[in-house]
Amino acid sequence: MIRRVADFVLILIFVWSCMLLGLWVIDALIVPLNLPFSALMSNVAKAVFSVLLVLFWFWLWRKIVRRVFWSALKRG
Amino acid sequence: MQGGYEILKCLIVPIVSFSVSFFGIRGVMRKTRSLGIVGADVHKKDKPLIPEMGGIGVLMGLSVSVVTASALFPDRTLDLVSFLTTALIAGLIGAYDDLRTLNPKVKPFLTLFASLPILVLHTYDPRMVLPIVGRTRLTIIYPLMIPIAIAVTSNAVNMMDPFNGTMSGTCSIMSFVLLISAVLLSRNEAVLISSALLAALLALYFFNRYPAKTFSGDVGTLSIGAALGALAIMGRLEIIAAVAFMPQIMNAFYGLSSIGRLYERRDVSRPIRILHDGRVAASDDEKAPITLARMILARGPLTERGAVRIFFILSGISGVLALVTMYLLMVTP
Repeated sequence: MIRRVADFVLILIFVWSCMLLGLWVIDALIVPLNLPFSALMSNVAKAVFSVLLVLFWFWLWRKIVRRVFWSALKRG
Repeated sequence: MQGGYEILKCLIVPIVSFSVSFFGIRGVMRKTRSLGIVGADVHKKDKPLIPEMGGIGVLMGLSVSVVTASALFPDRTLDLVSFLTTALIAGLIGAYDDLRTLNPKVKPFLTLFASLPILVLHTYDPRMVLPIVGRTRLTIIYPLMIPIAIAVTSNAVNMMDPFNGTMSGTCSIMSFVLLISAVLLSRNEAVLISSALLAALLALYFFNRYPAKTFSGDVGTLSIGAALGALAIMGRLEIIAAVAFMPQIMNAFYGLSSIGRLYERRDVSRPIRILHDGRVAASDDEKAPITLARMILARGPLTERGAVRIFFILSGISGVLALVTMYLLMVTP
């Protein structure tokens, strides 16, 4: 019972903390960036950085879930 | 005295919602059974036929409670109408799917339109508050995100109904968390909406819990998901709701990412199988979607009741994290 819940809770805490960390990275690091482009291009570049960060988060999340699931299934 | 009268008025709304939903679901159960609108309970050995579309009763409860709330709090009418019509549009799409079956790509597309009342009546605030970041000004992006948010919540709830009572129980926990948040953050319209929704969901849970006497049907899952999304948007509880909604989001994300496309349950291998002793176990078929239920069962078989209990524990833990997120919102300058 505890192990079943622990699998999920670890992923949940990872996802939640990544969400908070991601918000901080976007707010404190990406948004204040001074890029050598026009204002429009600079904003587009910041949006692209932020989207890439989110996509990386999703990719990592998917990898962790697959690994946790298949190893649990083998052990179960 | 004035405060006591306000609290009494607030209590009338969930009482009406629960009563109408309770008797509404009973009536719908009788009607759908007589019309032959039944579905097999696939996780039972004898696969009993259970009346479908119990979610209509939830919509009945929400409709009457929203009308009651509008009469008691006329200044909130716009928010209440926007909330109800969003749930009703999603419910209509779900009812059509229950009776005729929609294409798995068309259904999420149609649910985008359930957000129209929120957009048309402008019952949202684009100045979303985020933990750590603080208040934002998303005047262009925010309205564009609303249809996506409603489609995501309605379809995520629709995908999270594997065992008796999981959908109604986990959504009840989420509504309770949103009710606490709304009270603590003094979001009055969200207090009314979440209390009405929680009461209707508890009535559904009474009939939908193990062993189920009714299934909510897509009419119930899509409308409840849309209602939760509308509540999050109109109550400015977006981030809190997103965290409380994590089990549903995870279930949808795992399923979609493992299959690689939108899918209908009938079109893919079953993620759960039933053992001879009646317990449920995770399928080892590599083509089956990795759903939350399959993940829970990966460590070994469980009784259906035991699996449902784990769903509730997970939802409760997400609820606690959502309340921590609410605290972070309160301390963010």
